[in-house]
Amino acid sequence: MAETAQHETVLDIGAEQLGKTYARAVLGAAVRENASDQVLDQLRGIVNETLREHPKLAAAFHSPRVSAAEKSRILDRLFGTSVHPILLKTMKVMAERGRLGYLGAVSRAADLLHDEIAGRVVAEVRTAVPLSDELRNEVSQRLAQSLGKDVRLKEVVVSTLVGGMVIRVGDTVYDSSVASRISQMGRVARDGFARKLLEQSERFASEV
Amino acid sequence: MKFNSDEIASVLQAEIEQFDNKIDVREVGTVLEVGDGIARVYGLSGVMAGEMVEFPNGATGLAFNLEENSVGVIILGDFLTIQEGDEVKALGTLLSVPVGDAVIGRVLDPLGNPLDGKGPVQTSETRPVEIIAKGIADRQPVHEPMQTGIKAIDAMTPVGRGQRELIIGDRKTGKTAIAIDAILNQKHTGVKCFYIAIGQKDSAVASIIEVLNRHGAMEYTTVIAAGASAPAPLQYVAPYAGTAMAEHFMYQGGHSLVVYDDLSKQATAYRQMSLLMRRPPGREAYPGDVFYCHSRLLERSAKLSKELGGGSITSLPIIETLEGEVSAYIPTNVISITDGQIYLQPDLFFAGIRPAMNAGISVSRVGGAAQIKAMKKVAGGLRLDLAAFRALEAFAQLGTDLDPATQAQLDRGYRMVELLKQPQYQPLSAAEQVMSLFAGTRGHLDDVPIKAVSQWEKDYLQFIRDKHSTLLTEITEKGDLTDEITKRVLDVIKEFKSGYKPVVPA
Repeated sequence: MAETAQHETVLDIGAEQLGKTYARAVLGAAVRENASDQVLDQLRGIVNETLREHPKLAAAFHSPRVSAAEKSRILDRLFGTSVHPILLKTMKVMAERGRLGYLGAVSRAADLLHDEIAGRVVAEVRTAVPLSDELRNEVSQRLAQSLGKDVRLKEVVVSTLVGGMVIRVGDTVYDSSVASRISQMGRVARDGFARKLLEQSERFASEV
Repeated sequence: MKFNSDEIASVLQAEIEQFDNKIDVREVGTVLEVGDGIARVYGLSGVMAGEMVEFPNGATGLAFNLEENSVGVIILGDFLTIQEGDEVKALGTLLSVPVGDAVIGRVLDPLGNPLDGKGPVQTSETRPVEIIAKGIADRQPVHEPMQTGIKAIDAMTPVGRGQRELIIGDRKTGKTAIAIDAILNQKHTGVKCFYIAIGQKDSAVASIIEVLNRHGAMEYTTVIAAGASAPAPLQYVAPYAGTAMAEHFMYQGGHSLVVYDDLSKQATAYRQMSLLMRRPPGREAYPGDVFYCHSRLLERSAKLSKELGGGSITSLPIIETLEGEVSAYIPTNVISITDGQIYLQPDLFFAGIRPAMNAGISVSRVGGAAQIKAMKKVAGGLRLDLAAFRALEAFAQLGTDLDPATQAQLDRGYRMVELLKQPQYQPLSAAEQVMSLFAGTRGHLDDVPIKAVSQWEKDYLQFIRDKHSTLLTEITEKGDLTDEITKRVLDVIKEFKSGYKPVVPA
């Protein structure tokens, strides 16, 4: 169960599962203190900035050769005053259990969980050209209307779509892109043409 | 010949106009890992067990294992070009295959794609591959005969329409030969035949197709082939796909015969898939539900009630044993599911007794009700007599002196064994079988030298076909040996014997 989420499709199911468990715990504690936004922001900051900029620190967090007490001391020195006490305690608990290397998974899972609790969903919008502000508003409003939830857009530009857009919410994909329509039309035409050709071969062919 | 381009354009235009412009909504997941014909997919959170999914390379898959974090998918097709990270699309439907008259005479893969180079199957009708068999109220007991054309089987272990009769034996004992003869014998009976080759050598399948073609049997037969080089998931679904095609005819009131050649290979393919999916292994490393895998398949062979049209599926599953070991896991399972078994033995096969059926342990649990009366009369106690003869024969080899009654029983037995030998690809009609067995069981062969029996029978049947074909049609029509017909048969035998000198081959 190495922390290996280098790009989106490489997924360690064990780490994700672990992340979910710790995320539920840290979020539960943070909500009680009314500090969930602050804790999550700081956690995201540590994962996305501190650890990414200092790979050696990330390696130390992951390494079983650095003892739990040592990790705890490092955490105190680095984040002792700058982060919320709940987050610091969580990291110390994780260090004690040898799970400090999975902070990234915890952060991702906590964000998802927080969105879910708050009734927010993330919609990935893939378009051929960058969205204009007007379109962005319209898309998020329409989505919010039909899903009944707050929608946060995650925009991706994929030029091979040619036109239209592909919206992904959770595991459901709404595809109105020109590329997929063309390929679908191609398939229908090919199948239909092959069928017609065999059915009425004499109609198409004339003796010369 | 030249293509008329205007016509082609008009067809294309019609297709494009019919194309509706809807947003494509689909459930997707991402391939985490892929290999050995299975893929593990993240996402697809709403997918149902057995639902079809599609990979970007066009291959279809079946959601096989639904786990907490991922979905195990079996890939029916090319899995070598699927990559990690590919988007998998749930199709929201169950796997179906094309059915109807268009599949007859074709060689197809288990998804209904052509393997014979004759183009796509021209039908819009499909049936789901996995359905639950009809219940008790929708069935009726087996009562019509399903003639295999093989004397030994039709006389001793008769098969009825709607029955499941297992053909079991070691490798190279003539299991497939029996099934092929049964298919050849369905000519002119309106029975549609389905030969499902699972895990066979492609060369073996090719030669079977050649035989079927040569005897004109492809006109009413469909071959579904998942060869040894096909991925395990295809080998696993092949029998279900073939049965779905046969069911189409059954539900229309027709009759079909399905040969599963062979189910031990299907069980092996299923074991491979299950182990790769990390389902726990059980006995002989087969998964716990391998029994259900076969029972739900064979339960789909049925004789439907009159209200449903009275159609039927007769199945001849084949199981290959290792060194005659019938108490292995898969053979015992399938023996207990089927309505009887034809057990083929290598020592009989090599002694020249072909079909190499062991009369002692071959049974048909329901077929007796389906035998025509005439056959019952001539072959009534044949199976037990023959089994007793085998015991006696072993005893007689000790060289002891025998009393005349025992000697007579032995002599009759030797002649019956000779008479039941039958060359491959020469199925006999029920009437011919009755004529032949009548001569044997009523003692008209007792004065013919043992070695001359098969030639005697051949000439005898030829004599009847040439001079007394009305007798054959009468037996076929009446289906019974009335006193009058019995008298005529006796007269025919007398007439034949008076002008025939048995020839003992040198």
